[in-house]
Amino acid sequence: MWRTLVAKEMRAHLVSFRFLASFVILFVVVAVTAAVLTADYVAKLDEYSARQAEIDRYLRSYAHFNRIQNVLQPAQPPVPFQSLVRGLTADVNMEAFDDDPLPVMFPLIDLTFIVTILMSLVALILTYDAVSGEKEEGTLKLMLANSLPRSKIVLAKVAGAGLTLVGPLVVSLAAGMLVVLLHPRVDWTGADWGALALILVGAIIYTGVFSLIGILVSSVHRSSASSIMTSLFVWTLLVLVVPNLSPYVASFLAPAPSRIKVAREMARLTDVDRDDLGRKLMAEYKGQVLKDYPVLAERLTEAEVKSRVAEDPEYRKAFEANRAAVERAWAEANRIQNDKAEALNQDLNRKEAAQTELARRLSMISPLANMSYLATDLSSTGTRNQEHFGQLARLWGQAFYRDYRTRKVEALRAKDPTADAWNTAIDMSDAPRFRYTEEGLAGRVRAALPPFAVLLGFGIVLFAAAYVAFIRYDVR
Amino acid sequence: MTWTVARKEIVSNLLSYKFAIVLLLMVLLVATSLFIMHRDFSQRVADYQVIRPEPGAPIAVVTPNPLSIFAKGLENAMTRSFEIGVTGVEVRAGQTSGNIVYAFFPAPDFLYVVRVVLSLVALLFGFDQISREREQGTLKLLLGGPISRAQVLAGKWIGNFLSLAVPFLLVTLLGATLLLFDPNVRLTPDRIGRLGLILFLSLLYLALFLSLGMLVSALTRRAATSVIVLLFVWALLVFVLPNLGTLAARRFVRVPSVRALSEKREQTWTREVLLGIGKGGDWAEHMRTISRENDRMEEDYRLKFDRLVRLSRTINRLSPAASLLDAATEIAGTGIGEESRLKADVVRYKNSIIDPLIADQAAGKRDARYQAFVDRPRPLAEIFAAGALVDLAWLAILNILVFGLAYAGFVRYDVR
Repeated sequence: MWRTLVAKEMRAHLVSFRFLASFVILFVVVAVTAAVLTADYVAKLDEYSARQAEIDRYLRSYAHFNRIQNVLQPAQPPVPFQSLVRGLTADVNMEAFDDDPLPVMFPLIDLTFIVTILMSLVALILTYDAVSGEKEEGTLKLMLANSLPRSKIVLAKVAGAGLTLVGPLVVSLAAGMLVVLLHPRVDWTGADWGALALILVGAIIYTGVFSLIGILVSSVHRSSASSIMTSLFVWTLLVLVVPNLSPYVASFLAPAPSRIKVAREMARLTDVDRDDLGRKLMAEYKGQVLKDYPVLAERLTEAEVKSRVAEDPEYRKAFEANRAAVERAWAEANRIQNDKAEALNQDLNRKEAAQTELARRLSMISPLANMSYLATDLSSTGTRNQEHFGQLARLWGQAFYRDYRTRKVEALRAKDPTADAWNTAIDMSDAPRFRYTEEGLAGRVRAALPPFAVLLGFGIVLFAAAYVAFIRYDVR
Repeated sequence: MTWTVARKEIVSNLLSYKFAIVLLLMVLLVATSLFIMHRDFSQRVADYQVIRPEPGAPIAVVTPNPLSIFAKGLENAMTRSFEIGVTGVEVRAGQTSGNIVYAFFPAPDFLYVVRVVLSLVALLFGFDQISREREQGTLKLLLGGPISRAQVLAGKWIGNFLSLAVPFLLVTLLGATLLLFDPNVRLTPDRIGRLGLILFLSLLYLALFLSLGMLVSALTRRAATSVIVLLFVWALLVFVLPNLGTLAARRFVRVPSVRALSEKREQTWTREVLLGIGKGGDWAEHMRTISRENDRMEEDYRLKFDRLVRLSRTINRLSPAASLLDAATEIAGTGIGEESRLKADVVRYKNSIIDPLIADQAAGKRDARYQAFVDRPRPLAEIFAAGALVDLAWLAILNILVFGLAYAGFVRYDVR
């Protein structure tokens, strides 16, 4: 019986116009997107190697340790997954004068977009009249006149819609992958296949969530015409509004100080304020030294001081105590002011981290955000990869600045002790270069687990709600 | 007669569940969006107070633009502080946040609400106009009266457009009026005019989607079919076309990546400093070399980038959403064209003071003062000439075209 019900649902979907339209749209959009993104990925590869070649040329002739950190910076090479998922990889460069505003105005279309926007629409289109439509046609009464529990019917509806949606998704994705893999320069690895499979699982759960929303909405409405309105209203809020509002709402609920203000404040603390404090402490400490060594009260010119230091051991002791006091005062002032600045900076970081966490949690009310997070983290194009990149960059920094630079400077000084090791051009073509390697799949999966869990949780709650709503549905 | 149909449409809309939901969505979204983007703007104003240059400092900072509450566009990029140094322009303080979630989703400004959400709403007003009345059988009755099909269609269009536009305008104007209470939001007559233009463009855009809904409704037998077609058309027009269009344009116009430019700048700078120290040459001469090389690179990039923008605009006009976005952000003064203008002005400002700046630095003069940077946003006439007029006309033409097609479809419609 169960199989008959699911088969009936699927057959009804498969012959419908909406299924055909959805399939065609999905197929075309996935294939075109894959083609465009792959071409763009390959162009990015070329561009990346051209940039590295520029740096190599520079390293041979002009590299010097004083300013090498400006030139030799770790750079993220394009990862093969960029031919499907773009995530946070847009090259906007807002920190520099040469920025590229186009991605800000027109965010890119990628697999995440296709799943989050198109697939959720398709799911709703397929299910918005699952119950109310059958009621209007009168078939619901007929079906329930048989010895069929309602739970079986609602389960069959969910399974039927879910299974119907998997088909177009998998077929379109296969076409997209064909486009990607046919390009000779895309190296798709085993880990990539694993990540892709998990993203597909996420996409199926995501689509399932929206099918459940459709079934739930249709079983609280009497007519399909109002059911589609409510479905689209819910869809608009969850997909188009909640994620976009979340960072702004979070900045309202958990404010963080402006970075510009903090930077200015820190500059003031460690500059003007430090000088004031240093002078104050210096006067204080010098006063104490003066009590112990009254000789210092004499006003002498620099030359006289020099000669007395040389002649009079007692005066020399006093002079040294004075100098130590001055040094102590400035060290103290530096310490106090740096601590203050550091506290300010830590406060900023803590508040920003809290705000980010809140924004993330708020956005996870929307299935779209969960899907975006899991897809970008699994494909090494999200926040997880940014952290991973930072870690690799730190390791490289140690290898370069601590090991390589020390060795080179020593070698240079061994040859010529007076050499200016900072501003002499040194051939650094043998320097350790930053090598980016993608994080292993296990770490990426760990990052993607929370959004996965939230999506599944949505699915379970919605299923329960749809079940209850259908049990209470008046089929007349 | 047309007016009677329109009135009937308005009344039936007012009573419908659809209208209640749409009204709720509209009020909720426009109000939230204005509130949140106003807060965002206030933060920019507070930051501006911090980075506002001292008189005589060679720094270019523009004041935050109140119209960015409605169309944020590239406002974040434009309110950065451009400091002129011996090696050229350096970007020092940009409003950045450690909150990475901002990077994931586009800003929910008024323009986003209109472009993405209200366009969908407009479709929902149009999608069942003809097919639903056929299904209910009222279309036959209506056409049985002494009324032409053109009058029916016009009446329906006017009635639904008013049901959509009146609440929209009311909510927006109310929100805009509330904004006036903030003294930082200085809405000069020029800016009010611009805001009016943006509202006009928005109405034109919404009218287009209403007509599109009616067109598809006049081509399909059932409302259920028409809604499916429309949802896909909407997704294609609003999301897919403009975003794939910019990427496709990059295939035709090769622009060096911005990362490459930044890296090249650093290489030039460090190379010249090294040569300056090593060979003991004229320091000022090396600085001039840096400035010259950066200028050449910058000019080359601007030329190519402008070509890319022009091409992607042309491709993107396939989508009315992109036309609206381009035109509205340019009129608000936060668009791509305005950002390019600002940068060109900053470069010109740099050129006008770079020689005395290098000379002063070489002479060790620390407290030198320079002329101030004057921000001259383009006047409306120039913005229109640069493309906004084409977008406006294009939206108007599309409106007429789609309505005409809807009429043709309706005339041939089998009302049985």
